[in-house]
Amino acid sequence: MNDPKLNDAGLAGGVAIVTGGSRGIGRAIVEILAASGMEVIFTYRDNAAAASEVLTANLGKKISAEKVDVRDAAACAAFVEKIVERTDKIDLLVNNAGIIRDHLLPMLEDDDIKAVLDTNVTGTFNMTRAVAPHMISRRRGKIVNVSSVSGEKGGRGQTNYAASKGAINAFTKSLAVELAPRGITVNAVAPGVIETEMSRPVRELAGDQVTSRILLKRIGRPEDVANAVWFLSSKFADYITGEILHVDGGFKMD
Amino acid sequence: MSSENITQAEIDAIFPKVAAMMADALGCDVEKIKPNASLINDLGAESIDFLDIVFRLERGFKVKIPRGKIVEEARGNLSESEFESGGVLSGAGAARLKVFLSEVPADRFKIPLKSADIPRLFTTETFCKLVIRQQRAAAKPA
Repeated sequence: MNDPKLNDAGLAGGVAIVTGGSRGIGRAIVEILAASGMEVIFTYRDNAAAASEVLTANLGKKISAEKVDVRDAAACAAFVEKIVERTDKIDLLVNNAGIIRDHLLPMLEDDDIKAVLDTNVTGTFNMTRAVAPHMISRRRGKIVNVSSVSGEKGGRGQTNYAASKGAINAFTKSLAVELAPRGITVNAVAPGVIETEMSRPVRELAGDQVTSRILLKRIGRPEDVANAVWFLSSKFADYITGEILHVDGGFKMD
Repeated sequence: MSSENITQAEIDAIFPKVAAMMADALGCDVEKIKPNASLINDLGAESIDFLDIVFRLERGFKVKIPRGKIVEEARGNLSESEFESGGVLSGAGAARLKVFLSEVPADRFKIPLKSADIPRLFTTETFCKLVIRQQRAAAKPA
């Protein structure tokens, strides 16, 4: 890293929105972006204590938290307007907010399907619709969606979640086409099994079995995913768009 | 919904600001933005540019411009089926559009006119009139 160009990822001074940033992968993304000099505004739905913990653990960094339900389009629009009024720009949007409600298909309740699709898919639409016009006008910006290995690889009990992440992959590719004329890149990261609260049930139920199917023989860490998001957000990924970058230790190859 | 009572003076008053926003959105010199320039044919606007133009007008003039507003207003009191059929404007629809888009030179209306080609007719003045109408609508007491 003697070349000074390699020490500048082009993130410092930028403004980033990260949805679902209070825990797990979202928190790791918030922290790495803030450590790179970005002002990060993250959303959380209802865990104010976790959100506040992120702020306390990162004193001195430009991080703030807002309670926003991404399923609410008007709330997303108001949230983005408020940020733009103050900062006049949004350089990066990370659509990370997501939930899981795993059950075998016949056991899925209507709400298990609706809640997952509303948060993971409609929530991504809502926040992106609010942010994209600002990026279009500025002719710059990066959007990174947090997908999942489930978007491509079948998983028992995950029809609702897998459908939502498959939708995110398709959304990513189509939006990349739409926004490319304005120099805006749109990519996704697709985590495998990551050590988070969300994946705890899976890990507890079949941890060893899962690990044995991961080529790198370990469960991923939130930081592994955050590193990939950092890369796609940085100037080093300026020529990458419409990509789904798997961060799964080779799980997808199994 | 009629635009006939929009005066040239009203249009002239906002034209410089509209032209500046269009130039920013299209990434061209403001001198290129003539009042009767066709956004698509003369200025090379694409669909994403229209989106940007409307977004800038909304913010710059503090108005709300719903999607499809121009065509909806152009249709006036004609029903959708009276206005167009199978993607082609009816005689009544084309006549109505000519009146509504009075700023567009008559020779640009090629009959039969496809609905999808209506945006090709839009000029800078079309957007000035759109802003004026929305300003008036916003000023009306609820």
